[in-house]
Amino acid sequence: MMEQQSLEGLTEEQISFQLILHSGNARSKIIESVRKYRERQIEEAERLLKEAEQDLSVAHQIHFQLVQEEANGKQPAFSLLMMHAEDHLMSTLSMKELVKELLELFKTRNF
Amino acid sequence: MKKILLACSSGMSTSLLVTKMQAYAKQMDEEAEIWAVGQDQAKKEMEKADVVLIGPQMSFLKSELQKEAQKYGIPVEVIDMVAYGLADGQKVYEQALKLMEERS
Repeated sequence: MMEQQSLEGLTEEQISFQLILHSGNARSKIIESVRKYRERQIEEAERLLKEAEQDLSVAHQIHFQLVQEEANGKQPAFSLLMMHAEDHLMSTLSMKELVKELLELFKTRNF
Repeated sequence: MKKILLACSSGMSTSLLVTKMQAYAKQMDEEAEIWAVGQDQAKKEMEKADVVLIGPQMSFLKSELQKEAQKYGIPVEVIDMVAYGLADGQKVYEQALKLMEERS
């Protein structure tokens, strides 16, 4: 089980950077995963995708904590950077879902 | 004059890092030109740089960019993750200097 990352002591800006960092690591691994699949290294491709899921889970945890804080009445400090960080998270999540489905599809077709 | 190019997918997060790195360089009384670009501009801009640092969301492009950077004999590396995650301008600046020293 992945440890939950504490946001304590981090500035709003650093929280955004944490979101981009973990989403960004996932993004790179997802693309590398497809590249490995292309080279017929299927196990390596699956390993990378799994790692990407773990990175995304860390990013999601951070985001979830922010949403919870807001639900508890703490007004979030909004910035373009924070919205940009959310863009990173959401686009990488969709990318992961799609790539996961594609790899399964390729596998069943012996592609 | 040290010329440091930062690149990330849209050039947004690294723009903020640039500001912090410039502030640190100024504090150290060092002359440095530091700028950020998006992923598509990285190859075009690197000829003007002494070192290229890329964001974690672009690390899958590292070998491709390194190949391009060979033309200019400059290093390309992924920004240290701890430094990036804390938006630590000083650490990233020091990483850039270290890469330049190793090369020369």
